[in-house]
Amino acid sequence: MSAVANPPAIGKKNYVTAIKEALFEEMERNPDMICQGEDIGILGGAFGVTEGLQAKYGTDRVIDMPISEACIVGSAVGMALAGKTVMAEMQFIDFISCGFDQIVNMLATYHYRTAGEVNMPVVIRGPAGAYGGGALYHSQMNEAWFCNAPGLKVICPSTPYDAKGLMKAALRDGNPCLFFEIKELYRKREVEELLPEDDYVIPLGKAAVRHEGKDITFVSYGQNVYHCLQAAVELEKLGVSAEVIDIRTLVPLDEDTIFTSIAKTNRLIVVNEAPMTCGFAGEIIARVSEKAFEYLDAAPVRITRLDTPVPWVKPLELYVLPSVEKIVSAALKTVRY
Amino acid sequence: MFKQVYLARYFDVRLIKEKRRGRLKGTLYSSHNQEAILVGALFGLKSTDWISPIHRDMPAFFLKDSRLGWRRPDRLGMTIEEVCAQVWGKADSPGRARDNWSHIGSRAKHIIHSTSMLAGTIPVAAGVMYADRLNGGDAVCLTFNGEGSTAQGIFHEAINYAAVHKLGVVTIVENNQWAYGTPLELGCPTPDVAERAKGYGIPGFIADGQDVFDVYDKVMMAVDHARAGNGPSIVECKTFRAYGHGDHDDDRANKYRPQEEIEKGRERDPISVCRQTLLALGYLGPEDAESYQAEGKNASEAANEDFPPEVVQYLNEGIEFALQSPLPEAEEAGRWVFKEIN
Repeated sequence: MSAVANPPAIGKKNYVTAIKEALFEEMERNPDMICQGEDIGILGGAFGVTEGLQAKYGTDRVIDMPISEACIVGSAVGMALAGKTVMAEMQFIDFISCGFDQIVNMLATYHYRTAGEVNMPVVIRGPAGAYGGGALYHSQMNEAWFCNAPGLKVICPSTPYDAKGLMKAALRDGNPCLFFEIKELYRKREVEELLPEDDYVIPLGKAAVRHEGKDITFVSYGQNVYHCLQAAVELEKLGVSAEVIDIRTLVPLDEDTIFTSIAKTNRLIVVNEAPMTCGFAGEIIARVSEKAFEYLDAAPVRITRLDTPVPWVKPLELYVLPSVEKIVSAALKTVRY
Repeated sequence: MFKQVYLARYFDVRLIKEKRRGRLKGTLYSSHNQEAILVGALFGLKSTDWISPIHRDMPAFFLKDSRLGWRRPDRLGMTIEEVCAQVWGKADSPGRARDNWSHIGSRAKHIIHSTSMLAGTIPVAAGVMYADRLNGGDAVCLTFNGEGSTAQGIFHEAINYAAVHKLGVVTIVENNQWAYGTPLELGCPTPDVAERAKGYGIPGFIADGQDVFDVYDKVMMAVDHARAGNGPSIVECKTFRAYGHGDHDDDRANKYRPQEEIEKGRERDPISVCRQTLLALGYLGPEDAESYQAEGKNASEAANEDFPPEVVQYLNEGIEFALQSPLPEAEEAGRWVFKEIN
């Protein structure tokens, strides 16, 4: 177990290992931290994120919960009320809807309702996202529901380094956080990277510029960041220089980094894999339109999932989702606007 | 205990009077005819025990931990001033009037803050009990619920979880026969809600909700069971909702419920049931029994003289405080969405 808890600082780590390390290190650091979820103890989690955690920290602190997302969240609220910090796992983020009332009405509002008497250090995390053939109920990106519920911070890392640093920041934040992990990235070799040996956090609300450019700005998060990066490579061959911003956290949103980029490129495409209507891409474009309209030389564009569920088989799934081709084609139109 | 029943009744009567006088706005959710449940359930708790009241349990906030006196400063219950400031929507409310009526609580006083989603605090209570056990405590938590909320999924999910982990959650079901405008038989397939306990392998007690002593006995059986580490139970208290769901519903409730059902449901007033018991046991003399004839009287019929003077005085002080308390500053509405960094 110690190999997992304190891995040697050599070699690149994948996304799932980064999250795992964050959980082990925070459990070690904070004796008042509890982890709970379905199958997280004996099994070690459906995706192995909590493998070894119960063996190390015991059944009192790493709890295999009955299949009740509402109860996983509701009891986490009670734990927090009694002074604990809780990591609550949703086995798939799609299942979070079963706990919706407890999240938006109980958890999100607690601090507000009590005029600041009670903090809610609860991080709800789970595997999210499409492109893996998971079909309707194992592919969702439902982050926008929670951005519309004041009191929740919403986080979506795209790299192992960010996943670890943001998870630690979330667990120390004191506010309820929703942490969308991209399950397609969990064990993807291409995104593995070296992680610092020392403890580090990434502050919530700070975007990262993943690729610098001067003609157009792509704003995205999660695995669509990689689609944007690939599109940037394709566009470079066509003489278009794209800047790629990974917002990393939706709430709070780092508007400044976005506005600074648009001031330079004067063009904006926002990409997310959630459906279009009332999705977060629309929110970003609304803020740019309100606060940075004069920087724009072309109408801002959003590339999102079609307003459909995520269908199962590959051709159907890819049809509805954002892709490199869709981004390149939209970018070419936008730069010629 | 007898005096506490009067206090709970007077709180209700007085708020209705205050509203009629034009000194109070907003909807009132009456606990009239259900006071024995609140008093009986709370009376035997330890100070450190937790409670989770809902809209019909407003007196529970100041009755908690009041056995040795309502005015004890170190009491782990709310003061009447805090409760009245909340009812009046003033800045001295424990939640600074951010949510209305019974949606208050206190971490320090071990009172869970409710929302409008009934049964929603049962999992919270379970989490508190889990953490309390980890911290080496022996607290129990009473959650108050109506029979209507037993139809919610979270009612089952949370009791199931509490039963699996033997958490000290006592689920009190105030079965007052009506969930807003829906009668018991349209919300619950068994006449006794307590029967559902069998499904979780936990005890289900049935108490006479009009009898403060029977409620006390049954709740204490559940509390002892929980305190001994044996886990949760359900205590169903049979009662009847005297008025409408809220006072906005009073007129309609007299129409959607047959008159004879209302009269039957209210014939055993908790004040007179308590008085009869105390008389029979010799704790009250015949002359005491004549004083304070509040039973059976609606707010328009009951006078201050129908209640013990210290009860009236207690409410006078609370209401005076609430009337003097300022409204919160409008800008406060934007605060505490997130934890503020100092």
